[in-house]
Amino acid sequence: MTLSLDRLDQVVTALGTVLAPEQILTSKTDRYNRARVPAPFPVHRWAERLPDLAVLPTSTEQVAAVVRIANDLRIPVVPRDGGTGLTDGAVPLRGGIVVDVKRMNQIHELDLVNRTVTVGTGINMLKLNEELSRHGLIYPDDPASYPCSLVGGRIGTSGWSLIGSRYGHTRDLVLSFDIVLPTGDILHVGDGIGRKITKSSSGYQLKHLFMGHQGTLGIATRATLKLFPKPEAELSPFWAFDNYDDAYACTGALARAGVATFAGAVLFDEHKVAYLRRDDEAYIPQPSDVRALVCAVLYGYEDEVRAGGKRLFRIAREHGARYLGDEISAGDWAARHDRYATPLHGRTKQGQVVPMSWHCEDSAINYSQLPRVTKAWHEIIARLRRTTDVFDDWGMFAYTQGATGADYLTEIDVGIWEQQLDDAAWELWVNAKREIAAVAIAAGGSISACHGSCREGEVDLVPDELGRGFDVMLDIKRTLDPNNIMNPGKYLLDRAYPGSAR
Amino acid sequence: MTAHDGAYPFRYVEQYTPPPAEPVTDVARTTFEHLYEIDPRLMRTWVLQQEFPNWDSLRIMTSRHDHLDWMHRHFATRVVDGSSVLAELDSPDTADPTTPDASGGNQ
Repeated sequence: MTLSLDRLDQVVTALGTVLAPEQILTSKTDRYNRARVPAPFPVHRWAERLPDLAVLPTSTEQVAAVVRIANDLRIPVVPRDGGTGLTDGAVPLRGGIVVDVKRMNQIHELDLVNRTVTVGTGINMLKLNEELSRHGLIYPDDPASYPCSLVGGRIGTSGWSLIGSRYGHTRDLVLSFDIVLPTGDILHVGDGIGRKITKSSSGYQLKHLFMGHQGTLGIATRATLKLFPKPEAELSPFWAFDNYDDAYACTGALARAGVATFAGAVLFDEHKVAYLRRDDEAYIPQPSDVRALVCAVLYGYEDEVRAGGKRLFRIAREHGARYLGDEISAGDWAARHDRYATPLHGRTKQGQVVPMSWHCEDSAINYSQLPRVTKAWHEIIARLRRTTDVFDDWGMFAYTQGATGADYLTEIDVGIWEQQLDDAAWELWVNAKREIAAVAIAAGGSISACHGSCREGEVDLVPDELGRGFDVMLDIKRTLDPNNIMNPGKYLLDRAYPGSAR
Repeated sequence: MTAHDGAYPFRYVEQYTPPPAEPVTDVARTTFEHLYEIDPRLMRTWVLQQEFPNWDSLRIMTSRHDHLDWMHRHFATRVVDGSSVLAELDSPDTADPTTPDASGGNQ
């Protein structure tokens, strides 16, 4: 909490002129529940992340009115959607008002002719697709947090979809949206001025500017989305390999095959297989010569999925793959959203089970650099592990970002024992994150493929990654948010205000 | 007949007596078919293993399958089994000799 009681009364009174009393939340529970995201952090410092209050607007106009009040009073504003992000975008670092958009979850228009839907950004993709399914349609934005993340958060993160190699990622699937700027002005961005236009060459491409800003440039309130026919068929073979090199070669070949229904391929390394053997019913019984895994996914009409599937099975066989069977293949793919819930996978060095939270680093790395980055990242975590039981290497995977196999979401999963995460251990982790990001940049990659690069450690290297582009970010931030009220403290953007006390 | 009609009355002791555990690996064991659990020797210090009645263990496993089936239906009308694709691949009638080399030059 950063505001004095008098100041808080002033803010609540002002908000009461544009919101109903039940839309203004000041209780301890309401604030603590909006202070963190799933990414592990030193929980003894939870109170440092508390907002002063939260609001639940129901329209773009209400959001704009709240932001105008905040800007007038110089109160920080933090947008919050599902709160499932992994780089603290929705975490208040300076108190202020959390604008929770969950009540803006309406379907405003379903356009069956142009195949679009216009929604409030507080809607969840799973709930949206339950409605679209009645029309034989799907909105194929499929993050690991699919059951609980919201469309607005996907925009704020520029989200990554597990079937993005077939359908594109959030930036491709969101055609346009309304965004409330830090001054309270309402801006519509898309291709050109259209709401349902896929491609325009008119003017700057502003839609992408407001994708992935982690809530630092405004609050998306209403979005128009691209729809597809709900797939008739799904095929998700999992293959086992007795060595990483063959699995790596196979993954590259699958991605380069040019199969139209190809929705993604994933390579799991030996550390990940060892991790799965701890407590995963599919992998506990696997023979010891299983040292790497590859999965491919296809969606489409059954005849084309079968044709593409045959081609991929042939490629896998040529690389020495062993098919893991229908039950594991179908089951593991259907369980792809369940990876947040792994509290008992942590182990001390002596092998005792400890409750750990899941953290992951998520760089974008070219295929040719994957072995090098994999080796370097494991060495970083191994050093941490030798120092303390607070950290545990949960393995790595590499996941195609597109249909051609140029680059991969490259993720190392790290178990973190939050209950033991004191300031000294947190500093070790922040230093490790810095090293991990440096490896990605040295390999010609990007620090983050899907989550963003806002957290301590990684954020220090964002200026290195973006170069002159980071200065442009500062210029844009200062122009659109002259008083630094929109999610302050993120992405080193305080540097845009050199005279500020912050 | 069900447990509710009196033919199979609920007995506390029976519910808390799972089938004898069989070790599967050095860190896991199994009781019911397809039901695996971490070796209790690894859960002595920081996390203690909980006792579940049999019906609850089986309920969790069944619910898990229900959830996975639901997720399949949510994203596609049906699932194509890889084994059927493999069978087609091995059939002399459907062999496709035209597959280009997708191995690239970068392995």
